[in-house]
Amino acid sequence: MKRFLLYLTVAIITFTIGYNINLIYFSDRAPEQPINFSHKVHAADNSIPCLYCHIYADKSTISGVPSVQKCMGCHKIIKTDSPEIQKVVSYWEKKEPIPWIKVYNLPDYVYFSHKRHVKASVPCQRCHGDVAKMDRITRQTVIFGVPFLRVSPLKMGWCLDCHKNGAKEFIGGPVRNGTDCWTCHK
Amino acid sequence: MLNRRDFLRVVGIGSAGAAAGFALAELNAPNPARLIPYLIPPEDIIPGVANWYASVCRQCGAGCGIVVKVMEGRAKKIEGNPIHPISKGGLCARGQAGLQVLYNPGRIKNPLRRIGERGKGEFQEITWEEGLTILSKNLKELRDRGEGDGLYLLTSPISGHLKLLLKNFMNAYGSSKYFAYELINYENLRFANNITFGQNSLPHYDIENTNLLLSFGADFLTTWISPVNYSYAYGHMRQGRPGLRGKVIQVEPRLSLTGANADEWVAVKPGTEGLLALAIAYEIVEGGYYKGEDRGKWLAALERFTPRDVAKVTEVAEERIIGIAREFSKTKPSLAIGGENVSSYENGVSNLVAINILNYLAGNNIGISGGIIPNRDIEKSSFIPVNSLMQDASKGKIKTLILYDTNPVFTTPGAVKVEGQLKNIPLIVSLSSFMDETTLLSDLILPTHTYLEDWGDNFTEPSVGYPVATIMQPAVNPVFNTKSVGDIFIHLARNLAGVFQKEIPWTDFGAYLQASWKMVYNKHKDMKEIRETTFEEFWNNLLSKGGWWKEESQAGKKVYISVNKITPYLPKGPASFDGDDKDYPFYLTLYPHSSYMDGRGANLPWLQELPDAMTSVVWGTWIEMNPERATTMGIKEGDVIEVESPFGKIYAPVCLYAGQRPDTISIPIGQGHKFYGKYAEGRGANPLDLLPFKVDERTGAVSHNSTKVKITKTNSPGRLVKMAGWTKELGRDIVQTITPEEFQVKEG
Repeated sequence: MKRFLLYLTVAIITFTIGYNINLIYFSDRAPEQPINFSHKVHAADNSIPCLYCHIYADKSTISGVPSVQKCMGCHKIIKTDSPEIQKVVSYWEKKEPIPWIKVYNLPDYVYFSHKRHVKASVPCQRCHGDVAKMDRITRQTVIFGVPFLRVSPLKMGWCLDCHKNGAKEFIGGPVRNGTDCWTCHK
Repeated sequence: MLNRRDFLRVVGIGSAGAAAGFALAELNAPNPARLIPYLIPPEDIIPGVANWYASVCRQCGAGCGIVVKVMEGRAKKIEGNPIHPISKGGLCARGQAGLQVLYNPGRIKNPLRRIGERGKGEFQEITWEEGLTILSKNLKELRDRGEGDGLYLLTSPISGHLKLLLKNFMNAYGSSKYFAYELINYENLRFANNITFGQNSLPHYDIENTNLLLSFGADFLTTWISPVNYSYAYGHMRQGRPGLRGKVIQVEPRLSLTGANADEWVAVKPGTEGLLALAIAYEIVEGGYYKGEDRGKWLAALERFTPRDVAKVTEVAEERIIGIAREFSKTKPSLAIGGENVSSYENGVSNLVAINILNYLAGNNIGISGGIIPNRDIEKSSFIPVNSLMQDASKGKIKTLILYDTNPVFTTPGAVKVEGQLKNIPLIVSLSSFMDETTLLSDLILPTHTYLEDWGDNFTEPSVGYPVATIMQPAVNPVFNTKSVGDIFIHLARNLAGVFQKEIPWTDFGAYLQASWKMVYNKHKDMKEIRETTFEEFWNNLLSKGGWWKEESQAGKKVYISVNKITPYLPKGPASFDGDDKDYPFYLTLYPHSSYMDGRGANLPWLQELPDAMTSVVWGTWIEMNPERATTMGIKEGDVIEVESPFGKIYAPVCLYAGQRPDTISIPIGQGHKFYGKYAEGRGANPLDLLPFKVDERTGAVSHNSTKVKITKTNSPGRLVKMAGWTKELGRDIVQTITPEEFQVKEG
């Protein structure tokens, strides 16, 4: 009887640990996108600036996924023989948008503005990681091919940490009203 | 201690547990959110940043300029247009609720053709092509038979180029039967102003700059004519001028929101407001405040209306009448206005004439700041007296009736029995956004855009002393498979061909509107106010500003009123009421409610849940009754009572309201819809069912204060839903009071 209780306790504890490991470290690992798009090829190899495609990042709360028209703007000519580009072309010909999967997702009750952060010259990489090194977009740092800790947990403590201390390097001090509830929860 | 076997067991169980936990979390993982990009990004849209489009509100006839906040093609908020001379950045609750007109689940989504019996509500969805073909075929046949005049078009009072288009269409068709109908109209006021001031259009009442406002039943803060503009003006008159606070005296049997804001409330007996005005006029002339040469003539004309005699009829003390008269003449400028309540007796015009002459006698307040500022005359209104329309219907003169944005079945008195009369009409076509009582009876329903999806313009009437034109532009794409009214008629014209092509050659209503404004521009481009050098520039500015107006001051145009001319129009006695005093002891006054107006707002849940400003009742009809009178009759708040007039009866709960004369009950108009979407249907009662078919003889405008009623307590279940639970202080000393005696001792 006593032994059985021990087994049960061990099972419950390890179950919880297993569940949480998945939740914390693996829940939003890099999803497979409808098109095998590589940020590495675009941002690093061809040095295209972020804002060339994410055109609303300095104008709006959202950064904006490039329109299919934008993709076609270059790929009418470039690399037309690649099977992945042909997927883009087929979306364009069907007049359908590409259903990308969202990797960075904030809950509804958080108000976040890209514009504010970009205007304060916070580099994109600060939150999104070194995207230019990723073939597939991921929120985890990759160590020896194994996805590990996330670049940005997108948790409130992480936001506040930067609002309090981290902002020094961009605006010379803590964010004004940066810890006010209504700054982010409107 | 663990032995080896147990250790292995623990490790095994532990690993299995962890794996199971991991797997369960994996299974529980939410579906990933999708990021859907634009295929081709629209140039003028930045997702997440709002675009504001200037337009015009059509929730009532006031014509307020609005700006609509649109994000990614969805309308999110409506506000007043800050530079618009009518709304000045303000917007009332009805205007705010315009979003729920646009996205209302009760909207008609496709053209419909009746398949069952008329009034049963059995319709079949058809395409636009079919719907328009049915109608144009009918119109062609009608004209070929030589019965072109049998086409009747009944709309709400509209203005601007849509009205012009409809008129052109009807002319080209050969029918002169284009009419407008609305329950809450200002025909009596228009008529009375024409008699007294020789002005066909409604004037601008300069409440903003007046020092004494004597209002006879004009609830100008909620419903009367242009409530947003008047609310702004009222605020300025009270608090906008340092050291000067205008005074308001409100004369009405039921204390309205405006009455509650006034300094003095004169609880006059219903139907005698006109006489009270004449008694005040008598005192003004008699007391020597009127200095005209024809003073003797006025005195002779008014001699029957001495304050002493009138005091008995109106139940307002003689001293009070004299006091008001003196204050009204001494204060400069002063302004007397007659509102919905007094114009809705069967002698509405007479009452309004009597009130109008006060402005003349007390120092000619016409054409001066703080008085009555005339507006430019506009074309004659196409209002149709409801009795003549019903006569035509019963005689079978109406062969085809096209209805647009009007609901006569709901908004006419029960005794008119519109529903029965409409049965004689072979084809009824309804151009409506919503299924309402009248649309239900039609044979063909062509759903229209709401005002947030449509092109149009509006020539404000009454304006603020100078002409104001407001442009309506589509803020969002059509939500359902609907069409613009203008487009429907342009399409019909194309189907009918021939002369129509010459009269109405445009491809769509937007193009017509632009072409018309191009004509306006070409005619006026030399004016120094128009700085734009090309029409395209002018048109763009028009759309971004929301309209065109030129602020100009009005030259003080004095009027002369001849006694002999005016005398026949003065009230002879109190307004008559149906139902004798013995059997029907209560006067019934109905008022358009600030949320529902004439009933059109009842399908918007925001307005239903908005507590009434005076009683705080929501979601229903209530009967306002004097608390003391109710107590003597053994009626408690919330009791459902039967209100019976010689013409009908309704049931509704009582709301005890101290701002009510003991001999009067009041009921708001607007609820009691039988068919108007899920939010309005079967809610409350329609008090218009109690009314006789009575109109002011001179204009044909329906009198909705025209009957007496009796009330009986019933045991019917019913609920009065009120936001404010209690009217007592419960010893909390919220309102501090002092008796006059104590006041004299303390303040000397």
